[in-house]
This record gives sequence, structure tokens and C-alpha cells, in this order.
Amino acid sequence: MEMIVSFILAIVSYMLIDNVVLSRFYGICSFIGVGNKVKSAFSMGLAVTFVIMMATLVCYPLYFYVLVPAGIPFLDTLVYILVIASLVQIVGLFIKKYSPALYKSLGIYLPLITTNCAVLGVVQTNSDASLDFLTSLANGLGTSIGFLIVIVLFACMRERINGYNIPKAMKGVPIALITAALMALAFMGFGGMVG
Amino acid sequence: MTSTGYLILAIGIIAALIVIFVVSFVLYMRTPAPKGCEKLGIGPKNCEECDVKGCMIYKSHHKEEE
Amino acid sequence: MNSIKRGQHKASFLNGILRENPLLVQVLGLCPALAVTKSLETAFGMGLLFTFVLVSSNVIVSLLRKLIPEEIRTPSYIVVIATFVTIVKMFAEAFLPELYSSLGVFLSLLVVNCIVLGRSEAFAGQNGVLDSFLDGLGNGIGYTWAISLMGLIREILGLGTLTLGKVFSFFGDPLKLPILKSTTLDALGNPTYDYSISIFQNPAGAFIVLGLMLAIMAAISNHKKAVEKAKEKALKLEMAAKAALEGGAK
Repeated sequence: MEMIVSFILAIVSYMLIDNVVLSRFYGICSFIGVGNKVKSAFSMGLAVTFVIMMATLVCYPLYFYVLVPAGIPFLDTLVYILVIASLVQIVGLFIKKYSPALYKSLGIYLPLITTNCAVLGVVQTNSDASLDFLTSLANGLGTSIGFLIVIVLFACMRERINGYNIPKAMKGVPIALITAALMALAFMGFGGMVG
Repeated sequence: MTSTGYLILAIGIIAALIVIFVVSFVLYMRTPAPKGCEKLGIGPKNCEECDVKGCMIYKSHHKEEE
Repeated sequence: MNSIKRGQHKASFLNGILRENPLLVQVLGLCPALAVTKSLETAFGMGLLFTFVLVSSNVIVSLLRKLIPEEIRTPSYIVVIATFVTIVKMFAEAFLPELYSSLGVFLSLLVVNCIVLGRSEAFAGQNGVLDSFLDGLGNGIGYTWAISLMGLIREILGLGTLTLGKVFSFFGDPLKLPILKSTTLDALGNPTYDYSISIFQNPAGAFIVLGLMLAIMAAISNHKKAVEKAKEKALKLEMAAKAALEGGAK
């Protein structure tokens, strides 16, 4: 029972308090780049969720049961990026072959997921902080749900911003960053929610 | 298992990962896109709001244009 | 021939510093720029390590460009970059422990940095070793000055003081300069004056500073474009007037 409670608390804290984009700054490129379409933001978020979970599941045993006993824990980054990139390619291959509908909405974002810092960031923090398996899972789940929430909210906001007359120099990325700053301020309100 | 054994195992796994990555990458590139998605809506429409000049989507679109 | 070559070398070095600055013009590599700029020194240290990774991966990719088959370019670039990131990580852990702990996971995240991969694909894969070296150096310097400026702004506005020599500690004791907040305390134990705005140390402050910097860059380039356009227009009008005058004289 206690374990379940701490698991859920860990998910909430990784999701809202330490939000992946707004306070840990992972995956800003895809956050800014995915633009103002809510639907594509949602599918991007789902794809990232899937890849993060798979990567956590594969990398955890690789680090703790292979690299550490072999005495080469410093090769972790190399192994992780290989795992993540292969995962993205394999998932992409399946989507391309068997699900044209999914490919249509995700296809352009697939190459962006490999270079999404969120995936490598989660896996790397798991091993840097030597989190246990359950907390690693919570980290993966919380991070990816947090990413999904923020990226969808942000797309909605940018859709609204399009309708307004903003200074020419602020158009595009600058106004997006200012919007993100306001969102980060709002998310600071979650601080201290989990003791 | 001895630590040498683990080392050999780890090196084997890393080599296998590299092979898997390269093979899946090549396979992905060689698989033809399904019907109707050859051009995947990459276009000025997707890029006018964001102008991240270095982004891969922007680049691939502008390469097509040239 | 020689001068053309020299011109090209110069262009590949200078382009990255200002005209095609990776952070401020191409808007790449935002994650580390936002995350490690709490203080000037961390930002500068990140810039240095980043430059090292970029230069060495550019050189190796350029050396290998004829050996790597077209199809497996991206995977081999990723492996090369990951190797150098591992080297840099081990170096920083051994010699700059303070920097290593304050950069944290962002040192590993250099592997997926859009700038490093992008330069390998767009430049080093097609150009010679010297040009790739200069391109990496130029882009590295461009990125370093941009994030150092961000770090300077955020540290001065957010903390009110400027600390030097804390990360690069081999010059003796760190030096703490009072700017917006005094380093001396009054009788109650509070600083004698304090005008710092702590939001700039928070994530929100990072977004605001970067957003404003990009907006200023955009404003400058818009202004330049407008001036050029006005010049062109004036030139055209002048030509038209001249033609009309000549026509009138005839």
C-alpha cells in the first residue's frame, strides 16, 4: 500500500512539480517546433510517451545488470542513445509498414523523437541518481504525461495567439518563449504540493 | 560470472546495439512510405508560425523547394 | 585561387559567430541554453565543453566522410558524437568537478544536441577537414558567447552579485562582486542594499531572457532588411528620374 502511494506521489511530482519542459528544460526543441496544431501535438506527445517507457524498460536492466558489473558504467550515454535511436527506428518501421493512418499523423515527427532530450534525459537521470526500478518507471511515466499535458496546452495557446496582433519582432519563437515563461510561472504554483 | 565475462558480454551487447541500430535505420529508410503519405503535409503551412530555421521539418521542406 | 580558398575558410569561421549564430539566429540548442545559464561561469564552461565536442566531431566526421556509406550517415554521426561526449564527461568529472555537478545531465544531453548533429549533417559531411574545423570553432564560439551573455544577465538580475572563480577554481578563492546586491551586511544581518529580482533565477526567468534576446535579434535583422529595401527603392527612383530626365532632354 505504502509503495503504491509513493509511486503515485512520485508520478505526480515528476509530472507537475518538476515538469519536464517547464522546469527541467528537456525537449524544448520539439515543444517549440511542434507548432500550433493541437492534434499533431497530441500524437507527438503519445509517441514520446511510448518511446520513453520502452527506453526506461530496456535501459534500466542494461545499466544495472550489464554495464555496472562489467565495470564500464561510463559508457552509459553511448548505450542509451543507441537503444533510443534503435527503438525509434523500429517503432517507425512498424508504423510505416502496418499503419498508414498513424504514419500520416506521426511521420514527420519520428526523426525528431530521437533528438528529443526528454527521452535521453529521463534514462540518464535514472542511472545518474541510481533510482530504483519503480521510481524509474514513475519518472518515465510522470515525465511523459507531463510532456503530453504541456505540449497540448501550449499548442492550444499558440492557436489563440495567432489571432492577435503582436509586434513583428516577437512573432514566432520569441512570443512562444514568453508564453512558456508564463506557463512556467503558473506551474511554480504546484511547488510544495508533494511534501 | 567473472568481471571479464561481464566485460565481454557488455562489449557484445554494445556491438549488437550498433548493428541493430544501423540495420533498423537502413530498413526504415528503404521501406516505401504508405500510399497517400509520400509528402506528409510538409509545407509552408507548417512552418509559417514557428520559423525555427534549423528544424528538420523546415529543412526538408526547403530542400524540396530548391 | 588561393584567395578564394582563404575567403571560404574565413566565411566558414565567421558565419557561426554572428550571422548564422546557432542560438540567436538559427534558434537551435535551446535546452542547454535555458538550463545551464543560472550563472555566467556555468554557461561559459558549458560553452567550452560544447565547442570541444562540436570541433572534434566535425573533424572526425569530415575525415570519415568518404568512408561512410551514404545510407548509414546519421547512425555513424551519432556514434561519433556519443564517443566525444563520453570523453568530455570523463574529463569534466576529473578536472572540473564543480562544473560537472552543476551541468548534471545536460552534459550527456549534448549527444542529442541539434547543433552538433546538424553541423555534422549540413557541413562536415560535405566539406574538408580545415573548413569543418573552422566551422565547428566558429559555431562553438557563437554559441558560447550567446549563452554566456544569457548567464551574465540572469546572474546579475537574479542574484544581484557576480561570482568569478567558483567553477574554474584553479585561480584561487572565488571573487564575489556586488552589483545589484551588496556583499556587506548591516546590523540586522541583511544586505545593505538589494535590488535583485529572484524570478530570473527561476525557469520562468530563463524563458523571458531568451525570448527577449531572440526578439531583439529579430528586430535588428528586420530593421536591416527595411533599410536595405528603402535603399533599393531610392536607387530605383533615382534611376527612373534619371531616365525620365534623359528622355526629356532628348
